[in-house]
Amino acid sequence: MIDDVKIDWASLGLVAVTTVVAAVSIIGIFSVGVAALGAADTRVANGQRAGITRIVGFACLAIAGLIALYGIYLIIPVFH
Amino acid sequence: MTTTLFVVALVVLTALVFDFTNGFHDSANAMATSVATGALRPRTAVLIAAVLNVVGAFLSTEVAKTISGGIVNDPVVTPVMIFAGLVGAILWNLTTWLFGLPSSSSHALFGGLIGAVVVGAGTSGVNFSVIVSKVLLPALVAPVVAGLAAGLATYLIYKWMKRADDEPAASWYRRGQTISGSMVALAHGTSDGQKTMGVITLVLITAGYQESGTGPQFWVIATAGLAIGLGTYSGGWRIMRTMGKGIVDVNAPQGLAAETTSAAAILASSHMGFGLSTTQVCAGSIVGSGVGRKGADVRWRTTRKMVYGWLLTLPAAGLMGGIAAAIAITGTIGLVVVFVALVAGSATIWIISRRAPVSSENVNDSRDVVINPDKSTVDSEKSTLPA
Repeated sequence: MIDDVKIDWASLGLVAVTTVVAAVSIIGIFSVGVAALGAADTRVANGQRAGITRIVGFACLAIAGLIALYGIYLIIPVFH
Repeated sequence: MTTTLFVVALVVLTALVFDFTNGFHDSANAMATSVATGALRPRTAVLIAAVLNVVGAFLSTEVAKTISGGIVNDPVVTPVMIFAGLVGAILWNLTTWLFGLPSSSSHALFGGLIGAVVVGAGTSGVNFSVIVSKVLLPALVAPVVAGLAAGLATYLIYKWMKRADDEPAASWYRRGQTISGSMVALAHGTSDGQKTMGVITLVLITAGYQESGTGPQFWVIATAGLAIGLGTYSGGWRIMRTMGKGIVDVNAPQGLAAETTSAAAILASSHMGFGLSTTQVCAGSIVGSGVGRKGADVRWRTTRKMVYGWLLTLPAAGLMGGIAAAIAITGTIGLVVVFVALVAGSATIWIISRRAPVSSENVNDSRDVVINPDKSTVDSEKSTLPA
């Protein structure tokens, strides 16, 4: 009975790769955002202008937020 | 009241109780790390998770067409067997909760059904190859994949950011956690919420109370959603403590890495046709986030205990489901006996849990879930020493 076991190795691999890539990219983008915002704060504290670093920081957080929205789109079956 | 109506009413009631245990067992999956890092206050966390579980239950349009996804041969399954299977699953869920062990509610349900079907219809009623491909293999894969992804993500955070645990970085990670935890809760509602609806609907169809091929009735969706929501709100604090503090003390960046990984793994698995257990994904992510951070002391003793729990889930729930089925198939009196045994067993477990209760007040106060407060002080002292 065990020999007719059908295992979908392709989708297993796809799930594994997607999970790793998605997790690392989202966390990576979010962390770049957090680091940039931290750097912006440091600049301001040193009397410099935050300039582009703060924009980069919020842009990264916004991208992470958009990915989360895409996740919600995937969760809700009515959308697709 | 006719016998059929009595059986159906009993199955519906038991299914809703199972849904409740499903809710409080899995509350921790979405919220344990947010509670542990202080991203959300305990009561707020379970309220959000509960609301999202109910919303998720109403959102899901695709209700399970089979009771078990082919693990048992549905045509041979009678409402009495479903009842016995649910009894086995509930008792196992409560047992693992008592020990603070996160374990898969779906596996408990499968185990209970397998036991009940083997007793009620023989081994030919069970598809063992499907058990391997849909339960055993995913059970191996889920924690490994999630652990790897969360471990890598955590490792990279701490490699790039030396001060990820300090403010203001930590507060950003906590804010992120609110979103990632909520997504796990919503995804849980759309998948587990509809499982019980599927079971109830199939029972109603089998008993002739509903046309074959029709979807769940509104009252089924409403009560099942409510049951899982109430279960989630009640919190399952014993499991919450193990997941948030017991396996590893989770810091905010780790928490975000673990929850994001869990959300990604759950979404990927549900959209790519390789179903993974939410509980095992989330637990794997948490272990991974501990391995990924230097200096985080992952407590392998607790982790091992959890893995033993996973290995036992299918056979233990199966054994209880089988015993329940052997008694329940004897007739109405047997059914009543099993139901009374379920109530008595649940009450006993609850009373034992009161000896060292875990609640929203003290969930973060200790890393251990103890059953015998006098005996286990020695144990827990030992376990806090670095490995």
